[in-house]
Amino acid sequence: MNIRDFKEKLFSLGTENGFTDMEVYFNASNNFNVKIFKGEVDNYTVADESGLAFRGLYKGKMGYAFTEKVDETSLGILIEEAKGNAMIIEDEDEVEIFAGSEKYNDFEGYSKALDEFTPEKKIQFAKDLEKEAFALDSRVVAVNYCMMASGEGERIIINNKGLEKSAKDNLAYCYLSVVVKEGENIKTGAKFVASTNITDFHAKKIAEKAVKEAVSMLGAETVKSKNYPVIFRNDAANTMLETFSSIFSAENVQKDLSLLKGKLGKNIASEKITIIDDPLMENGFASTPFDAEGVATYKKEIVSQGKLNTFLHNLKTAKKDGTESTGNAYKASFKGSVGIAPSNMYISPGEKTYDQLVENVEEGIIITDLQGLHSGTNAVSGDFSLAAQGYLVQNGKIIRPVDQITIAGNFYELLNEIEDIADDLEFGLPSRGNFGSPSLRVKGIAVSG
Amino acid sequence: MLDKALVQEVLNQALTTGGDFAEVFVEDTQTTAIGMIGGIVEESNSGRDYGIGIRIFKGHNSVYAYTNDSSKENLLKVASTAAAALKGTKGDLVINLTKVDILNNHPIAKIPNTVSKNQKVEIMKRAYSVAKNYSSEISQVVVRYLDVDQKILIANTEGLFVEDRRIRTRLPIEAIASKGTEKQSGFYGPGAHKGFEFFDGIDVDYYATEAARIATTMINAELCPSGKMPVIIDNEFGGVIFHEACGHGLEATSVAKKTSVFADKVGEQVASELVTAIDDGTIPNAWGSSNIDDEGMKTQKNILIEDGILKGYMIDKLNARRMGMEPTGSGRRQNYKFAPTSRMTNTYIAGGKSTPEEIIANTEYGLFAKYMGGGSVNPATGEFNFAVNEGYLVKNGKIDRPVRSATLIGRGIDVLKKIDMVGNNLGLGQGMCGSLSGAIPTNVGQPMIRVSEITVGGRKGE
Repeated sequence: MNIRDFKEKLFSLGTENGFTDMEVYFNASNNFNVKIFKGEVDNYTVADESGLAFRGLYKGKMGYAFTEKVDETSLGILIEEAKGNAMIIEDEDEVEIFAGSEKYNDFEGYSKALDEFTPEKKIQFAKDLEKEAFALDSRVVAVNYCMMASGEGERIIINNKGLEKSAKDNLAYCYLSVVVKEGENIKTGAKFVASTNITDFHAKKIAEKAVKEAVSMLGAETVKSKNYPVIFRNDAANTMLETFSSIFSAENVQKDLSLLKGKLGKNIASEKITIIDDPLMENGFASTPFDAEGVATYKKEIVSQGKLNTFLHNLKTAKKDGTESTGNAYKASFKGSVGIAPSNMYISPGEKTYDQLVENVEEGIIITDLQGLHSGTNAVSGDFSLAAQGYLVQNGKIIRPVDQITIAGNFYELLNEIEDIADDLEFGLPSRGNFGSPSLRVKGIAVSG
Repeated sequence: MLDKALVQEVLNQALTTGGDFAEVFVEDTQTTAIGMIGGIVEESNSGRDYGIGIRIFKGHNSVYAYTNDSSKENLLKVASTAAAALKGTKGDLVINLTKVDILNNHPIAKIPNTVSKNQKVEIMKRAYSVAKNYSSEISQVVVRYLDVDQKILIANTEGLFVEDRRIRTRLPIEAIASKGTEKQSGFYGPGAHKGFEFFDGIDVDYYATEAARIATTMINAELCPSGKMPVIIDNEFGGVIFHEACGHGLEATSVAKKTSVFADKVGEQVASELVTAIDDGTIPNAWGSSNIDDEGMKTQKNILIEDGILKGYMIDKLNARRMGMEPTGSGRRQNYKFAPTSRMTNTYIAGGKSTPEEIIANTEYGLFAKYMGGGSVNPATGEFNFAVNEGYLVKNGKIDRPVRSATLIGRGIDVLKKIDMVGNNLGLGQGMCGSLSGAIPTNVGQPMIRVSEITVGGRKGE
């Protein structure tokens, strides 16, 4: 059924049932995914999906409901469920359906060039990726994951307050994970690339990174437990930022789930640290000209040279704090309730190279990979205790690989102990937002071996 | 859910390019999620997931396609698009769909959408107030309520045509304790393959109290020392260590590709002889159970390890072909958006002979991990990590004092061999397991066990 016809019927049924302000959020996407195993297409997935979420004010409370079956049979269910959900809401915070921002930035998230990357080319690329991985080093005994995927989607928000916004975007991404073996020693290495730019998909370069990483870890051993100066390599650093990014959400601050409460305008990090949220970043995985509530987005410094400038707000938290929304309203999918998340969030790069960071370490550890981020971290307290691997550095030189260690510390303390920042900003696997960081050198962290 | 004749037509269409097996999976799922913070309902969302997945095999290759549009025209188009990924000509497979009625091992008494949302909120309020009133140190309590009513239809070119319904309910409770600028949280999330009657059979107060008790114990705990030491892991959710460290490595997904450390080891001693490990999808009304798996095969009780000897793996249909073995009713997926693959259901280490008291009394020095948090593993290397949510030091056979921020790391196969005491108090705990085919409900479980040595990462240093 046409989305605009559906909306008409839904809003009129909603009005009959006592809803005042109403909104539909429609999402449609096409996805492609191919996995290669031993030169053959191991798995091939094509999907077209769509769904619609309704929300509306019923007696001043916001009710939500969603459906993936967009037809007449869902009209009544949506209204009834949204009403039932509104009726049990006890939160007294004012919520609104937004009439629209005065001005929106022009932003084109859809790359026409990406259309040239046909399924056939993607399959060939994935096959090349696997082939290159095996060709690079005889110690590559298996490619346990070789995937190429792409997706394009459209989002439409329409409400009865006059807002109607839509945005289209597309993206391609690949992931390669290799297993290397030397004697009884087995290690894995992986590389992920997401981009709208086809030239970023260079099979040999990607395979080299994954293989080099795996091989470099062969023969890894633990280290003596003690406090070491640590370099978080860019990819490990961006996963740390991602894990603790929720401390900047105004919702968490208001609910007393972030220790940044009362710290606006104060120094919360080393003065070398500037953290940016840029929803209009070119080729950014989370780029968008409007957020999940239809508010215009803009680039902002969350932390400027160590000073906390702003929390990330949606309309509800902004109203509560007597400020403006920062355009960070977020829905995990079209189904979700409105929460808060960063868009493309990153730590500004410094001027030194990664090698220069390493040269300055007398005895320390480079962390290249962190495990257990979902369980070994507490975003409320900032504490972390994580399995890690990387390299041992002595007198400015990498001596050997290190594994079977844990690092433990506190993110709030870590922010203050960053002594140096490299120029190698890199973004990681996107999740609830897209996170980037350059490599960071930290004064000291407890390492257990 | 879908007309048999239409399903047959779609399956036929799927085989036009030489596929030797095709499957249709239809899903219509209703979910309710309510969130309460500080005793106040802040969020309530419900809706309907609906979609159709079409899968085709040709030898060891598979193609998967899905859509939300169930019109005949669209389904035939999707089947054609999927089939086009295989280049070949139609074989002479004859499809004879026969509807099979399955025996329901998981009776449901109160279908979630027949229960008012207010009744659901009442349970949440009870959990909130019990946890909040536990101690003045409890500063915040987050209670969630979730129910899922999933109706599925699975049909395939082997003639299968079967429908099933899975209803699950869960109550995750998180209590946060504060002291100065410090915060610690405690969590308990009971759940079952049951409707609203789940709450008639459980003591909500107990779970709320436990969440609050963990948070207050941990806010007053010292930092955990680090190093290699004996570790005692308590029952129920403690089983997450087997789930992550070994369970994932026993899934056919990694075994078939020989990227698991357990590949080609059937018949070999892979664990201490005290260890028997089982994956059982048939336990009545258990969180990870179902009548049939997501490929339409009856779930089974699969013995993975018996007295330390590796007996078998968890195998789905496609990997069964690759391995030349039989599937074990282990094909699972989050929903129609994922092709199924081998996954765990209710996985546990069977009960042993020691009493929990004996195990602690026999430990001179070590860590007692009473409640485990989540963890993860790299199946290729077997390297795992876990968070300990509630831990204590054990000294001279007695529980000494609580310690926090402990992480356990190691390799699964080493841990299995180092289990030197197994308790007699088997219990199961509920979790969500994320892997290739999405997030699915799984039970983990074990009695109290002792591992002679694990690396403990803590903040205190040695």
